[in-house]
Amino acid sequence: MTKKREIIFSLVRGLLAICIALFVAMLLIFISSEGAGFGEKLRATGAALKQLLIAPLFRTGRSGVSFDVKRLTDVLASMIPIIFTGLSVCIMFSANQFNLGAEGGIMLGAFTTAMVAIYVPMGAVIHPIVAVLAGGAAVAVLMLLPALLKTKLDVSEMVCSLMLNYIVMYVIKFLMNTYLADKTKGQIQSYEFLQSAKIAQLVDNGSKLSVGFLVALVVVVICGLFMFNTRWGYTIRMIGLNQDFSRYSGMKVAGVIVLSQVLGGFLAGMGGGIEMLGRYNTFSWSALPGYGWTGITIAILAGNNPWLVPLASFFLAYLTKGCELMATYANVPAQLLDIVQGVIFLFFAAEQFLSRYRQKLVVKSAQEELAGKEGAKHA
Amino acid sequence: MPDEKAVRPDETYVVRMEGISKIYPNGVAANRGVDFRLKKGEIHALMGENGAGKSTLMKMLFGLEQPTSGEIYVNDQKVTLSSPSVAISMGIGMVHQHFMLVPSLSVAENMVLGMVPRKGMFIDRAKAIAITKEYAEKYNLHVEPEAKVADIPVGMKQKVEILKALVRGAKILILDEPTAVLTSQETAELFRELRGLKENGYTIVFISHKLNEIMEITDRLTIMRAGRSMGVYNTCDVTKEEISRLMVGRDVVLNVQKDAAQPAQTVLRVRDLEYTNEWGKKMLDHLSFDVRSGEILGIAGVEGNGQKELIDMLFNLNTPNGGTATVNGVSVIGMPQRRIREHGVSLVPEDRMLYGIAANASIEENVISDRCSAKRLNRGPLFNMKAIHEEADRLIQDYTVLCKTRKQHVGMLSGGNIQKVVVAREFSNDPVLILADQPTRGIDVGATEFIRKKLVELSRAGVAVLLVSADLNEVMELSDSLIVMHNGKIAAYFKDTKDLTDDMMGEYMLGLREQSAEQIGRVCHD
Ligand SMILES: Nc1ncnc2c1ncn2[C@@H]1O[C@H](COP(=O)(O)OP(=O)(O)OP(=O)(O)O)[C@@H](O)[C@H]1O
Ligand SMILES: [Mg+2]
Repeated sequence: MTKKREIIFSLVRGLLAICIALFVAMLLIFISSEGAGFGEKLRATGAALKQLLIAPLFRTGRSGVSFDVKRLTDVLASMIPIIFTGLSVCIMFSANQFNLGAEGGIMLGAFTTAMVAIYVPMGAVIHPIVAVLAGGAAVAVLMLLPALLKTKLDVSEMVCSLMLNYIVMYVIKFLMNTYLADKTKGQIQSYEFLQSAKIAQLVDNGSKLSVGFLVALVVVVICGLFMFNTRWGYTIRMIGLNQDFSRYSGMKVAGVIVLSQVLGGFLAGMGGGIEMLGRYNTFSWSALPGYGWTGITIAILAGNNPWLVPLASFFLAYLTKGCELMATYANVPAQLLDIVQGVIFLFFAAEQFLSRYRQKLVVKSAQEELAGKEGAKHA
Repeated sequence: MPDEKAVRPDETYVVRMEGISKIYPNGVAANRGVDFRLKKGEIHALMGENGAGKSTLMKMLFGLEQPTSGEIYVNDQKVTLSSPSVAISMGIGMVHQHFMLVPSLSVAENMVLGMVPRKGMFIDRAKAIAITKEYAEKYNLHVEPEAKVADIPVGMKQKVEILKALVRGAKILILDEPTAVLTSQETAELFRELRGLKENGYTIVFISHKLNEIMEITDRLTIMRAGRSMGVYNTCDVTKEEISRLMVGRDVVLNVQKDAAQPAQTVLRVRDLEYTNEWGKKMLDHLSFDVRSGEILGIAGVEGNGQKELIDMLFNLNTPNGGTATVNGVSVIGMPQRRIREHGVSLVPEDRMLYGIAANASIEENVISDRCSAKRLNRGPLFNMKAIHEEADRLIQDYTVLCKTRKQHVGMLSGGNIQKVVVAREFSNDPVLILADQPTRGIDVGATEFIRKKLVELSRAGVAVLLVSADLNEVMELSDSLIVMHNGKIAAYFKDTKDLTDDMMGEYMLGLREQSAEQIGRVCHD
């Protein structure tokens, strides 16, 4: 099939998936919307959809629709942690390691970074770098646990990492409650980060779009190159595809399985650290933030391809924002987000979706190609 | 000359496939307007080069793939074979080129899969075993019902596949290269069964690249080339040479010319290798032999006499109970495959789908799997993409892998072309020792010629070659010297393969004769 047709197909499929999902969403909103008559309900639905679809970027007022920079930067800022967890999951899943530790990882990374930012004084530029790297390193070490248990004792990394998330969360809560909390405050939170540790903001509008966003994009490029243009990334992918083949080919299978999870851990930890220093002044998370789970969604949407992670992250961030706005201004339950997400997800994941249409395109291409060849022969 | 009668419409055919075209989702036109007809009670050969579209055509008859256009009639009823279960209900059974067995289940469980005799919620194991035994006996195909499929040799897997189709009541049996993994004895055995089936009114489609077999067993043959049918013939009306020419479009020489071997120093030295498998069967019994640089040592033997185990030990896919194996003086027992490869050992594995390839990776990714860290393919931390593309393109061209681009997934290639990918990789990494387990399995005549030549060429350049093949012709023709394995022991050693006959070999292979310890001992050159 030609490149052009391939791209057209992807676009049609993506758009259609979204349209169907929106239609389902509309039905649900319509059912759950308040209003006396049919017309009123319809109006309420329309308003809600407007919030969901265009409000994340545009402000609608009496003077029509106008682009809102603040809303855009909000969306971009919320992409930062999920780009990192997305990449983290991409790498681990590529090696066929179903490590779900990105969730605890991002929390531990955030916590470790916060501790360095509070208790270890350093120079201005160097401080956030060291703090974030420390966050990454802590999670990398943590991931050695499921990785080594897997390679040495064949323990399921999925179960192990999943449980680890809760252990991490409760240990951090315990430490915060008993030793580290700033007792002068009304809620459980740490002392303030040192000024030197803060990550600079890109825009000064309260969106919290920090330099971390640029770092995230750079890390995307590094991960993309790593997975497709280096021998290590190649080895990770091959092991994910056929472990016996990889061993027979002479790859260090056990080592690479560990490497993939350690790298994944490092990325998740880094994401947590950057999110901490770019957005907050104190550490106050008392529960798992959910970015790790989102990372899994992103990795699956992106087909474990790091290059597609920014796109998938933007899509999810946009959707989340839209649903938030919808819940606030249009009186629609926030849980609807999950349903809409689920439906879109379903269509993206269903490979057979539109396969008939695709087959038509393919047949057309092949026939043209054959005709071309035959024509050339006769000429 | 084409069989005119074969295309007359008033004949009765059990199957008629008319104007069949198939375009795969990746745009490969595997069949282009093919007509294919089966008479009741015939054995019909389907022949053609690798990638000619034989398997594709048969997959459509079995309902695994859907034709893009064309019509299928079974007993003169137009049918839509939307899935294998529909095909099975019409009495069509298929034995695939690649095994479709569940490795973690037992033979008996595989036999009844999908038609499970139940006892409450559970599979009735005893019944499954009974059924398996009954059919194995009825059709004289010996299998071990209770063994796990992952542990049985490929020859037995093949028999399980055939039995599986028979258990499901197939009257039209499609056999896609069933003999590729069988020894000549097993093949002879199978042919006896097939003739029996034919007499009982079964119709059989037989796909094979072995011309002798085609001449021996089939009544008619359809030849395919590049997705088209090149005609239908009565087998008795054509010669092997004509068939080759119709398939390949040129004359093929299968007898490889080779100069006398000039063996130099010993490369592989095996001493007293011993292995008892988990059912307590002695698979390797104090095996000792040498392979020298510049020679091809063939191993003949009925499948299951320790050949697979031997190769497994030499590549550390399994651990022996005793004995030594060294390559240029370094012990390879228990050595990681990475290091074994560093010492210059290559392996063309028996089971290409398991070890040989990653089906969902591209051809390019598959051919560099053993050399991804090589200096010439890397530039600092990054891959040197240009060098990798060149390497892949060169191998694809040298080994005539039929594909659209190097980015195509290996799993989408035809069986023979998958084998070519494996061979291309294993022959091209400057080996000092090649362990070739069925290297030309499933490869068409033209490419077989090429691979055999290549193997001889490599050995004459100083590579030591250990060749295991179920194809007696192949071992006898290619090997400089030869050992026969029986019951995990060497039954005979022939320094020269020139004046060996099939019959002599057969006696040793079946254990009817055995050489003296002294004669056998000559395979060790110390
Ligand atoms: N699932 C698939 N997807 C895409 N292309 C395929 C697929 N299966 C086969 N092909 C392509 O279709 C063509 C015909 O393949 P097929 O398997 O029918 O060949 P064959 O005649 O059986 O060859 P062989 O003797 O090597 O088994 C090949 O070019 C192959 O690459
Ligand atoms: Mg085939």
